[in-house]
Amino acid sequence: MLKYSMLLLFTVSLMFSCKDSSKKTEKEQEITLYTHRHYDSDKVIFEKFEQETGIKINVVKASADELIQKLESEGKQTPADLLLTVDAGRLVRAKNKGLLQSVNSKVLDSTIPSYLKDQENEWFGLTKRARIIAYSKERVKPEELTTYEALTESQWKNKILIRASSNIYNQSLLASIIANNGKTAAKSWAKGIVANFARVPKGNDRDQIKAILAGEGDLAIVNTYYIGKLLNSKDPVEVNAANAVGLFFPNQDNRGTHINISGIGVTKHAPNKANAVKFMEYLVSKEVQEIFAKTNYEYPVNAAANTSELLTSWGDFKEDHLSLTKLGELNKEAVITFDEIAWDKGPNAQ
Amino acid sequence: MLNKLNRIRRDFNQWSLFTAAIGFFVAIPILAITVHLFDGVGDMWEHIVNYFLLEYIQNSIVLLIGTGILTTLLGTSSAWVISNYNFPLRSVLKWVLLLPLAIPSYIVAYAYVGLLGNGGTLIGCLQTLGFSIQKIELMNIYGLIWVLSFSLFPYVYASSLAMFSSIPRSIRESSDILGASKWRYLKSVAFPLASPAIISGLFLVFMEVLNDYGAAKYYGINTFTTGIFRTWTMLEDLQSAVYLSALLIVMVVILNSLVKWQRGSKSYAVKGSTDQLKSTDRIDLKSNKRLLVWIIVSIPILFGLLLPLGQLFYWATLTYKKTFNIELLQIAGQSFTIALVTTGLIILTSLALIYFSRWNHLKSLHFFKKVATIGYVIPGAIIGIGVIRSSQSFITFFDDVFSLEIGFLFYSSSVVLIYAYVFRFLAVVFHPLEANSLKVGKNISEASYLLSAGKIKTLFNVELPLLRTALLTSGILVFIDVLKELPLTLILKPYNVQTLAVKAYEYADDERVAQAALPALMLIFTITIAMAFVNYLQKREKLNR
Repeated sequence: MLKYSMLLLFTVSLMFSCKDSSKKTEKEQEITLYTHRHYDSDKVIFEKFEQETGIKINVVKASADELIQKLESEGKQTPADLLLTVDAGRLVRAKNKGLLQSVNSKVLDSTIPSYLKDQENEWFGLTKRARIIAYSKERVKPEELTTYEALTESQWKNKILIRASSNIYNQSLLASIIANNGKTAAKSWAKGIVANFARVPKGNDRDQIKAILAGEGDLAIVNTYYIGKLLNSKDPVEVNAANAVGLFFPNQDNRGTHINISGIGVTKHAPNKANAVKFMEYLVSKEVQEIFAKTNYEYPVNAAANTSELLTSWGDFKEDHLSLTKLGELNKEAVITFDEIAWDKGPNAQ
Repeated sequence: MLNKLNRIRRDFNQWSLFTAAIGFFVAIPILAITVHLFDGVGDMWEHIVNYFLLEYIQNSIVLLIGTGILTTLLGTSSAWVISNYNFPLRSVLKWVLLLPLAIPSYIVAYAYVGLLGNGGTLIGCLQTLGFSIQKIELMNIYGLIWVLSFSLFPYVYASSLAMFSSIPRSIRESSDILGASKWRYLKSVAFPLASPAIISGLFLVFMEVLNDYGAAKYYGINTFTTGIFRTWTMLEDLQSAVYLSALLIVMVVILNSLVKWQRGSKSYAVKGSTDQLKSTDRIDLKSNKRLLVWIIVSIPILFGLLLPLGQLFYWATLTYKKTFNIELLQIAGQSFTIALVTTGLIILTSLALIYFSRWNHLKSLHFFKKVATIGYVIPGAIIGIGVIRSSQSFITFFDDVFSLEIGFLFYSSSVVLIYAYVFRFLAVVFHPLEANSLKVGKNISEASYLLSAGKIKTLFNVELPLLRTALLTSGILVFIDVLKELPLTLILKPYNVQTLAVKAYEYADDERVAQAALPALMLIFTITIAMAFVNYLQKREKLNR
């Protein structure tokens, strides 16, 4: 009995798993998207696009590095039309490996400012994220804060919270400092920050903000949209944590606050290039850009799009207009610098 | 030399060919990676050696020792109690003790921070009770040992349970007649007898620990696996990442030879008549001892299951409105189907490897078995690369030679994914089955041959029924493993397939752990149903006999 019921179940499942693969044979309008983003808001946008155009979107989600590796091995038989990542560095890497192709689109050219896209039009920024200083409203006055550089001053000893160096947002912040201040200055900056760490880096951006509420430190270097997400969380612990911090946009008197992008490019061997470009143009349309701002608390790249109420309440700020290509190029150097100064081992290791 | 050749000629038959073919086919991804080792180390290798290598080795050893001790304590004590004593709810707890495995380790890691971290649920409870406690610091290597041990001890529990419950009555009686105390019996008879099984369970724990990525990364602990990812993705040096994997494999080979050394040339086969082979009856306990038994069983259940599960339920109540929909049920169905098919294939492959090689004596075949089961220690992402590379050469071959574009077969079906699972998890079924077939010994099979039953007939009528418990328990373990698998699934799954583990990960990775709770709970639910089904089958079998 056992043998037979197992055998039956096994055969039925085998049939089911085969069915999945065989049903897609006819040619319909579709594009395949490799994406590192997995937000619910994206799904809403994809569904809207499918309804409006009748073009089906096949989504493959994995980390950008894995997707790049996948594209590389799949070569010219790749099913992918588009690569979507959450930082410029990975797009630069994909471009350098010859995995992307240039796109001529008036819509994209006119909508996206030049510092947010590739010079050869191989990739384009879709949304912006600012890496800011969240401070304890209780223990820190915003007047005490000025720049990223000033965080190394001794008054912040044992006060700074930030996550580990494996985080791409930290890497791109350090890359921007290397680009702006030079390698030696950047290295001593990173050293100075480590000396002021409140604890060994751990957890994610949300955990840093929770640690401020708990009094483990006073300042946290985090991305803006995490604060938006905490404020709108269903978990009361997270809402309390977000309410306890204020946002400070550093370096307003000089180069501006560091930003990174979520961006997209058409793959070199894209089977459906025309539809892929259509989809990219759709993503930067005013309407969709406002969805990004409203549901995922990211800053739109389309100047015509209104930001959400929450983003407006944080105020306008000056952005660092450093070319994002530069960030990509310096990414590896940033990682090496982090390792050399033992960022992940914390203040006691130095 | 001539002697050796003669021996090879004698032992070489169709079964050795089968073993070699299966072993080779399963091992293709690792061979594809091994080829890369000849290209030498990458340009970041020196950087890794200077800043990380020592830390990776140290942390991995501390983790192995810590989880080794804790899982052995938790797993064997609960297995001993379950197999030897009768107490209320015993038959339920027997299965509940496997359930901690159903929660992915990284979810347990998040849940514990949700319980004991800043503003944690349990901390909140303690504070209202008047304790002035801010948080319990878990995000360090000891916290990681705690989390991994409580989520992985069922491996040791399952393998030692199968062993403890099948120790023949005759052995227990001999021990009693010789005047050994209960403690002496446990120490000198039951434990040594069960040691191959315990160690094979521990081996699985070690592999999971070495392969853990999510929990270690969240707690900020640098291990080989986090290092491999770091080297590959951030230092952009795949070559050195492959070398780190090779070092990891060396560690495993050392562990493995320790196991072999422990087993030595001892035979664990138990001989005797059918009546003597019947295992001992369980003892009914008096109330004072019952308490002790309850404590032994409830500690792993409380910390491995109830606490993390409680936190997940709390999160799920906060988020279910957003996350529960028909799609989630479909995803659960897909996960279940894929896991079931994979489990079936893995069991078939393991049996083939064990039996085909038993039917001949060719020593060199052991190499293929080793290579085929090595997938368990290699980080999923690296296997993913190996699989993509090898299937890619297959696709180009077809394109060049037959000008057939067969790429879509690979990218839009689960074939490659399932194949990769088989390679990745073969060891989970293979090792316990091998240990158990060692225990059964060759005498029974030889008796069957003497009665002129063929090899296949003996396999199905004599050998497999004896392995039933081991088959079901290791089958369930691999089923759970496949359901939980993450890195491989992420990189190899086609766009039209989604699994619960991936869904939960997507939320957690986006720092929305609370939303990950519902898919995680569905995962646990699916696994519970599968376990209940196996339990039901086993019970029916017993009644029928």
